[in-house]
Amino acid sequence: MAPAVCSAHLFTRHARKYVQAFVKTPYLELHTGPGRGYPVFDVVKQGESVTVLFRRTQWLKVRTPRGVEGWASEDDMLQTVLADGEPLPLRIGTRAGFTSHRFEMGAFAGVFGGANFISAYSSLAFNSQMAVEATVGQFLGRYSNGITADIGLTHVPMPQWRLSPFLSLGIGLLHVEPKATLVQPSNRTEQTAYVGGGFKYYVGRNFFLRAEYKTHVVITTQNRNQVEDEWKLGFAVFF
Amino acid sequence: METRVRGLLLTALLLTLPLLPGCASVHRWREHRAEVRAAREEARAEAAQANPSAGGDTVPPGVVQPQVERRNVKVPRIRSSNFELGAHYGVMSIEDFGSHPAYGLDFAYHMTEDLYIRAEAGRATGGLTSFETLGGNVRLLTEGERKFTYYDLGLGYNFLPGEAFFGRSRAMTSSFYVFGGAGATQFAGDKKFTVSVGGGYQVLPLDWLAVHVGFEDHMFSSALLGANKLTNNLEAGVGISVYF
Repeated sequence: MAPAVCSAHLFTRHARKYVQAFVKTPYLELHTGPGRGYPVFDVVKQGESVTVLFRRTQWLKVRTPRGVEGWASEDDMLQTVLADGEPLPLRIGTRAGFTSHRFEMGAFAGVFGGANFISAYSSLAFNSQMAVEATVGQFLGRYSNGITADIGLTHVPMPQWRLSPFLSLGIGLLHVEPKATLVQPSNRTEQTAYVGGGFKYYVGRNFFLRAEYKTHVVITTQNRNQVEDEWKLGFAVFF
Repeated sequence: METRVRGLLLTALLLTLPLLPGCASVHRWREHRAEVRAAREEARAEAAQANPSAGGDTVPPGVVQPQVERRNVKVPRIRSSNFELGAHYGVMSIEDFGSHPAYGLDFAYHMTEDLYIRAEAGRATGGLTSFETLGGNVRLLTEGERKFTYYDLGLGYNFLPGEAFFGRSRAMTSSFYVFGGAGATQFAGDKKFTVSVGGGYQVLPLDWLAVHVGFEDHMFSSALLGANKLTNNLEAGVGISVYF
């Protein structure tokens, strides 16, 4: 008997707290799946409440007081309220979020110094205009392969524009692995500094496209510094 | 010369950066914090002046102090379950190197019910080419070089969503999907830029669990056997993934 009591106690202690949402519109439709095509199989009447279990993309899984579970769309759930009349705390990606957000991450494909290039980045914003960004990439060329890693600042002068330009400036490392067919191949790692710019284009929700150009000055141990251009196009999300 | 000009431009940009509006607000942080602190000190001093009775024996003014404490209701956060982590196992036909077991990991972030971002990495091991099989002791690659390791980043799209029924009382959501991405493949002692495309079908027996069956083509150009050609490395398999 004791273990059962103990586990029940543990269960209640660690039970997750859910949001209770009250239907204000004439009714709330429940779908059988998290998608626009899934049929409506039940409705919740005005004044009744649903327990919001979790959310997947634009759909929320809810449970009615009768124990029926179904999926309600985010648009419908935005019409419901909490017990105190406040709107439901749903964070959705909007243009306002695109203008001002905290985190951003994305992936690109492009060209680095004539070689094919894949990269991924993440950024942390101080405010709507300034962010610190870290990028890693891999280039795969005919004569050499390698990895780039850089960190820098990005400035977005007009964050409220749908097609928003930005400038970037930073430093990094470049690791080059020349292909074995060349004379005296030896891997090397050099420091770099870059300046660049590009555009972000808001597509919808928390998704945007990003095109970017960077010119890297590779600070080599030889007499001349090397310059490598980077062009890339990709997509990103913000949180 | 060009490098020097670029260097100069870089320095000029670095110097002008603090003048940009976003930077100005970064600068103002410190000032703003000092202002807030000063205002708080002032408010405290005023409060002390207005209520000097703290510690004294004077009776506070006869205002009824409410005994009811305001309840601070904390609304629980709505949990999101848009990330998906999975594993797959199947067979990969590495061009010229035969078909062999392949396995990998996938990671996805679902942005909408249709569109998702995905990253994957996997491995298979190539066998012998026909040339090696017929040629006796000839070996083109070492054992280590036969390891086919890939990764790619890209986008996926769910289409034809539906429900799959298991018996009379169980319905599971399902959908077909296609995806494409770019990445790299390490094979035969070289890394190659790789474009991957694929598709599959998934069924979700539970809200957080998906079972997949799918195929994928990893394409890259290779000159390993003489002429440079685009190689297609087809992978087919089953997978399982969890949403969180």
